[in-house]
Amino acid sequence: MKARKRVTTAGATGSRPARASDRPRRTPTVRTVRSAIVPVDRRPRPPIGGAPQSPGRAASAAEDRGPAVDLSVDLAPGRGGLRLENPVLVAAGTFGYGVEYGEVVDIQRIGAICSRGTTLQPRVGNAPPRVTETPAGLLSSVGLQNPGVEAVLERYAATWAGWRVPVIVNIAGGSIEDYVAVARRLDGVPGVAGIELNLSCPNVARGGLLFGIDREGAAAVTAAVRRATELPLMVKVSPNVADVRPIALAIEASGADVISAINTLPGMALGPDRTGPFLGTGYGGLSGPAIRPVALRIVHEVAQVVSIPIVAIGGVTELADVLDYLAAGAVAVQVGTAIFADPALPVRLADELAAECRRRDLASYRPLVGTALPRRPGAPSARGVEYRP
Amino acid sequence: MRLVAAELVQSREILPRQWLQSYHAPELATGTRAGQFVHVRTGDYSGLVLRRPFAVNTADAATGIVSIHFRSVGHGTEWLTRVRPGERLEMLGPLGRPFEIDPRNRHLLLVAGGLGMAGIRLLVDEALRDGRQVVLLFGAATTAEVYPSSLLPDEVEYVVATDDGSLGHRGLVTDLVPGYEAWADQAFACGPPTMLATLARLAASRGARLGVARLGRKRGGGRQPALGSPAARRRAFLQVAMEQTMGCAVGACLGCVVTGVEGPQRVCREGPVFAAEEIAWEPAG
Repeated sequence: MKARKRVTTAGATGSRPARASDRPRRTPTVRTVRSAIVPVDRRPRPPIGGAPQSPGRAASAAEDRGPAVDLSVDLAPGRGGLRLENPVLVAAGTFGYGVEYGEVVDIQRIGAICSRGTTLQPRVGNAPPRVTETPAGLLSSVGLQNPGVEAVLERYAATWAGWRVPVIVNIAGGSIEDYVAVARRLDGVPGVAGIELNLSCPNVARGGLLFGIDREGAAAVTAAVRRATELPLMVKVSPNVADVRPIALAIEASGADVISAINTLPGMALGPDRTGPFLGTGYGGLSGPAIRPVALRIVHEVAQVVSIPIVAIGGVTELADVLDYLAAGAVAVQVGTAIFADPALPVRLADELAAECRRRDLASYRPLVGTALPRRPGAPSARGVEYRP
Repeated sequence: MRLVAAELVQSREILPRQWLQSYHAPELATGTRAGQFVHVRTGDYSGLVLRRPFAVNTADAATGIVSIHFRSVGHGTEWLTRVRPGERLEMLGPLGRPFEIDPRNRHLLLVAGGLGMAGIRLLVDEALRDGRQVVLLFGAATTAEVYPSSLLPDEVEYVVATDDGSLGHRGLVTDLVPGYEAWADQAFACGPPTMLATLARLAASRGARLGVARLGRKRGGGRQPALGSPAARRRAFLQVAMEQTMGCAVGACLGCVVTGVEGPQRVCREGPVFAAEEIAWEPAG
């Protein structure tokens, strides 16, 4: 018998989230973007103090003031639910398997944790040095070092199952079969709330063409993983393409529940004597505030063509960045590089978002979503030709 | 490991572009052991996305003062030099695993190359506090970069080598090591990778060259502690503090690895101190 995969968090018990029948799925028009965000809990929330709070949750100062704000979001309402208490996640690769920061952060207050990229077999990763700071950015090339999916589950799954915070396992592979095998292994494991596909891996079957920049590859791997698991499925798109929208549409059509955008951009830094690259592998992936405008553009583009929720990633360091991404059509954000400087940032951003909603007299943050999207479908920016030669 | 607000008490340039800064941070001053480090958040958050790791140079539990010693090499360290007394920085620490002295050992050989002094300075205090004898070998390019002996306790035997011969031995600090090998019970080093690799080669061949007998252990008998465990490190003749560019400093990002004989080792978690035999050293050349 398979274990139940629904993520049950405090407050969710007893009330099933809204089901797929509540909304049309996959109708690619601008107007449906908001309908993708189904309120998890339609009941009015009791005021703070009367709400059932799990022990250990320290109500922050921001929460003590004013009425409660509903920050919860269900990223996969059609799939049994991927319910988050707030829309601030931590990005894959920056938070390990969630246990590493446990001593300094109250991780249970994070929206969700995306795990380190996990593969079928153990990987030792790339040659050091692997990270270097660049202007407003981090260039990194870890090479998916991980102990393999079996060891990951053995070491961490039981811990995850005891957490309130959902853990989304980020998976990677060199072939569709690899992705499928990892997804099958994760399917039904208590503590695994969802899967995020890292598509920035070379597809061996197609001569090393990265899955994420190849529409057929992205669609095929998404569809294959979709068939392999009932877990909520988030697919991370690569920014390294001329037009991300056909790929996003293909990913949506292949059964993804959520799109996360974006992965890193390839970059380079030189060693101190300029006789070669600084990083052990030569090139690395750029993350951090430096890529924020790129990510914002891609979120804005994708939000106009797909109807599934979008989780924005790219240089989030303050509330203004969260608000930007929400306005561009994302329903949640992932904090990545900024965690290294400020481990408490994700939790604080959620508190600040709640305070901002109160300031604007909003009971939920959802009215902030999509405000920067074109009002009419088919507006020029939906065609996306104006900035391309 | 915790986030601590550390107030700058004193900042001075002890050597050209090398700074010694003292911070009031009682939480760090009491709990830190030699070899451990702090991860310091710099000011300009939008441009500098990473914290900066620094070995704890001295820690005084009585006054609550910890000090760091660094060279101003880039935007982050340059920003640090402009911090004024009274300002507070956020430090994450203490991080990493410390040097492990075998409690039976009386004679400790410490080897520092250049800024490597920052990684080994606290061990001098620890060893002397426990009544051990310490020889500190120090190598620098020239007199101008030699760590001032006034900043060291009097009980230390401080031996200097300079590349240009302007002070002490002319040549590399590793040239001095054979003279102390027989005296030393255990050795600890911090410095450039080439220096550490040379020391590791010397340490590996030390037993054979000195004719050290392996007493008390029958072949195949006795349980060997696992490589990298504190017990194995205490038994190791040479322990080294390694450096690597670092991201999170808590073991999450896997950015700061060095190549070990059993695969990548995180400097922030398994290190920064390693037994020499844990590291896959580059061959000499």
